[in-house]
Amino acid sequence: MTDARPSSVSQPRGKALRLHRGLARIWGSDQRFRGWLTTSNNNDIGTLFLIVATSFFVIGGILAMLIRTQLATPDSAFMAPQVYSQIFTMHGTVMMFLFAIPFFEAMSMLLLPGMLGTRDLAFPRLGAYGLWVYIFGGSAVIIAMLMGLAPDGGWFMYPPLSSAAFSPGIGADVWLLGITSIEVSAIATAIEVIVTVLRYRAAGMSLSRMPIFAWYILVVSVMILTAFPPMILGSLLLEVERALNWPFFKVENGGDPLLWQHLFWLFGHPEVYIIFLPAAGVIATILPVMARTNLLGYGWVVAAAVSLAVLSFGLWVHHMFTTGIPHIGLAFFSAASTLVAVPTSVMIFSWIGTLWKGRARMELPMLWIMGFFATFVIGGLTGVMLAVVPFNWQVHDTHFVVAHLHYVLIGGYVFPMVAAIYYFMPLLTGRTRFFKLGEVAFWLVVPSFHITFLSIHMAGLLGQRRRTWTYDADQGWTALNLVASVASFVMAIGFALIILDVAVNAFVAVRGRRNPWGAGTLEWAAAIPSPAYGFASIPIVQGRYPLHDDPDLALHIARGEGYLGDASRNRRETLIVSTARGEPSQVVVLPGNSVLPFLLALVTSTSFLAPLFDAYIVAGLALVGVVALALVWAWGLGARADEGHVDAGHGAKLPLASESPDPPGWWGSVFLLLADGVHFGSLLFGYAFLWTVAPNWPPHSYLQAQLWAVILALTGALALTAGPRLAVRAIATGGAVWPTIALGIVGALALAIAAASVILDRPDPASHAYDATLWLLAGHVGLHTFLSSIMLFYLAARGAAGYASPARIGEAGIVRLWADFTVATGLVALAAAWLPGAFA
Amino acid sequence: MLACGLAIFLLVMALLLAAFYRPANPSVDGRDESGTRVWMWGLGLGFPLVTLAALTGYGLSIGERLLPREAPDLVTVQAEARQWAWTFRYGENRVIATEGVLHIPAGRPVNVEITSTDVIHSFWVPRLAGKLDAIPGHVNVLRIEAARAGTYDGQSAEFSGRGYREHVFTVEAHDAASWATFLKEGTQ
Amino acid sequence: MIEILRLSLPITVWLTGFSAVYALQGLSCSRHWPADLEARPVLLAAWAVAFVLQLIALIAVLYAPSPVRFVQTTATALAATALVAAVWTMMPVLAASACL
Repeated sequence: MTDARPSSVSQPRGKALRLHRGLARIWGSDQRFRGWLTTSNNNDIGTLFLIVATSFFVIGGILAMLIRTQLATPDSAFMAPQVYSQIFTMHGTVMMFLFAIPFFEAMSMLLLPGMLGTRDLAFPRLGAYGLWVYIFGGSAVIIAMLMGLAPDGGWFMYPPLSSAAFSPGIGADVWLLGITSIEVSAIATAIEVIVTVLRYRAAGMSLSRMPIFAWYILVVSVMILTAFPPMILGSLLLEVERALNWPFFKVENGGDPLLWQHLFWLFGHPEVYIIFLPAAGVIATILPVMARTNLLGYGWVVAAAVSLAVLSFGLWVHHMFTTGIPHIGLAFFSAASTLVAVPTSVMIFSWIGTLWKGRARMELPMLWIMGFFATFVIGGLTGVMLAVVPFNWQVHDTHFVVAHLHYVLIGGYVFPMVAAIYYFMPLLTGRTRFFKLGEVAFWLVVPSFHITFLSIHMAGLLGQRRRTWTYDADQGWTALNLVASVASFVMAIGFALIILDVAVNAFVAVRGRRNPWGAGTLEWAAAIPSPAYGFASIPIVQGRYPLHDDPDLALHIARGEGYLGDASRNRRETLIVSTARGEPSQVVVLPGNSVLPFLLALVTSTSFLAPLFDAYIVAGLALVGVVALALVWAWGLGARADEGHVDAGHGAKLPLASESPDPPGWWGSVFLLLADGVHFGSLLFGYAFLWTVAPNWPPHSYLQAQLWAVILALTGALALTAGPRLAVRAIATGGAVWPTIALGIVGALALAIAAASVILDRPDPASHAYDATLWLLAGHVGLHTFLSSIMLFYLAARGAAGYASPARIGEAGIVRLWADFTVATGLVALAAAWLPGAFA
Repeated sequence: MLACGLAIFLLVMALLLAAFYRPANPSVDGRDESGTRVWMWGLGLGFPLVTLAALTGYGLSIGERLLPREAPDLVTVQAEARQWAWTFRYGENRVIATEGVLHIPAGRPVNVEITSTDVIHSFWVPRLAGKLDAIPGHVNVLRIEAARAGTYDGQSAEFSGRGYREHVFTVEAHDAASWATFLKEGTQ
Repeated sequence: MIEILRLSLPITVWLTGFSAVYALQGLSCSRHWPADLEARPVLLAAWAVAFVLQLIALIAVLYAPSPVRFVQTTATALAATALVAAVWTMMPVLAASACL
């Protein structure tokens, strides 16, 4: 293996050049300025995502510097306590929600198609939509802060402090609605990434040949789908309590503030691993290249990542060790918290073992990975200490915890991401680093980081509480805080240098050659910087490191010698493979440039943000706009005639995705419904939690089920199950579709009426948390029966307009999936509403 | 715990640096997986399982000893937090009340029944025990015990808004005689 | 999809069992628990059930193997991890105090 191999790849000539011109025309985005609003290409979207996330990092960093300025000296008069509360709340919020998650999403959007050997992500427009929702929601939060309307209850917003009584004004609402819209964006991106990793890969790329980064991002994306819904539910509950006085957290009316803490940490603990795992994926990608060898124990690392992901959902209570939970409960979570260190340790030793196996070299990305090791191991060890219950009882809510979480997040996330930026810069910009500010920045950032946060650890052990706006000179923390502040400013200068270095190198450094590090994965086989179409043809791979197996792979790809190396069909085609083995199975046509994602994001964000200004009518209109635009969006896809199998190259005749029973949209729906199901499960959990432990339960009476409503619900469920099934059969056999659709819609209606009976029987949701919960359960049924009805109408219209045929049956399958989900969760919701009354 | 942590940290760093200063072995193929026995089974799995089992068991056994169990000479007091003050109540029917100062007998186990009337606070006297939250609607019981008479600083340890920093109190631990006096004077 | 389920189901069973035992413990300390019912035997039984389910998950992975070797190896490792987790994380029902 030598470093100089890629220079042997000659410039694509002849066929390669013609192919390049054809594909560039098909895949290119609008070159005018408005092209930024209509593009859905992963390179453009990823770049915008990256720039915006970096901007939020700068904002969060400035807030951090304000905090350290305030704490540099005792009895500081720099900020008043009210201002300080806003600043630290926003620092946490910006860094966690607006920087950390979007930044790795940006990286995966930019890198995944290249690594997997496909041309774009699975749902390009969904990616664009996610980007714009993120930009609108994030900007709203920042603008509110600049207007002095920021939330000030700490980034985990514990009620009752964040309730209307103790936090009047719109600060908390900005937080709840802004963050929820960003979570919607994250869920959109996660679905896109999951379907891409599972289906959109190079020919022959089985699960065991997938780049390790793709595994990590797959795991993290599933975690986003299961961890964010509890948080979204929590935000919803708190927002309706604040706006409509539904008492979910109000003790007097049967609520319980602890419910928020459970929902928040059900999200918050996995969140830590959602942030760490992408960084681990980056390390597992870069480190073997730096050691000039292959990753040691690939299968081990995959298993460790999956188990870490699942174990992390069993840890949430360890943030609540001081809330008076019985010791046995703490013991469960203490045991789980220590167990989670095992997969982490498997990963760490896999990486060190890889270094031992190969011949390690100390390039700049490797230097940052060394910074990761030195920092993250300390953060992990203090984390294990925090899992020990008595120790936790002492240092909880002191600066020790602050320092611990910064060791984990900066050491475990930011440092590897800097490594990734430097490592992938030649790929993303096509340039070789020329200005060597990076090394200087490293030696500024890492030592000053340790000085800052070791001091803060000490201050915490000496009893300095987090979130106190100042301290007295005689408390003995003066020197530690001053040292921490000075060092933190040096660190800030270092980070500024990195951003400067990357920006300057991206624009003016010298053109570089392909694959400067001698990596073996596919992203380095594309032309640099990556063209809009990514690969001129879909590569065929036989191993985990295709570029090592075939040094001339880039040439073969450029000449169109892979699959779909042909621009003559004049549309954006890429390959879909079977999930496990990676055999070519479908050809998918991706949609072109469109302003729809931008518009839909605009109305979605309006519906989220209008309630802040009590503009409920505007919010309502925006919601109508969301439905209308979504229908326009969906209507524009698909075809009116069957095309049959198409030539994919290498003699393969493959069906189009739109003529397959499991198109990508079906897979996307499955994962969206997973998130929806977790959201519903969280609601049931909240209900059971209040029923079990909330003071002021039981309510004065339980709802009594009425026989007619039960019968209506059951028959409705039956009709809504049967309707879409019969519709699928009718489309497949060419029978009449309308009657089956009508059956489904009548079923949905019956289910909705049964749910309405719950609301009518308990007309006052503000009276008790029980009533409020019933309204939400009924609301869940109402929303989903509404969605199912719209989809059924849509299906009927599509059939009438000629968009459905026995081959083009995928859309009907998606509708059936949604109807089944509606029936299943609807029956559970109604049973949950009726059961306590039946047994009381 | 700190020493163990430091030792583990140094071990990891030493292994890491050794990779760079080790004589290179050019014959090893990238696909060679023989290292998994030592690195994965030994260091990745075995090492943390053993240390963590010990640590968890140790932590839980200490935690068990700190629980507010039945005790013969137990005293129970009530601590009620609000923005930004503490009220402590004593005696049967909680007739004695003090503001900002918690009186306890030294050398006897004391159960503090902690609650809140508005937002969440936390009761923390670092030299006597760990912290426990004061949550509206809930009563959490914390066991404290002052070995000798004297004054101990206490504070809230859960952010509660503007006056959080000044939300402090003191604990006054009395010897047997002055504790009796305190109770007697309070009931009059 | 079936291969994805092979990989993810056994360890999801652990998460479900763990949450269920924790919920049962919460219930045992609540107002709904019959006063004359000793909590620990019930918790121990729940632990045993969780363990048996976990064992079944592992056996299912072993006796209905995936045709893809990598999936089979990884699924086995994950199912075994889940079994260890089931023993380890619910061990506190043996010793720790119930409602203090």
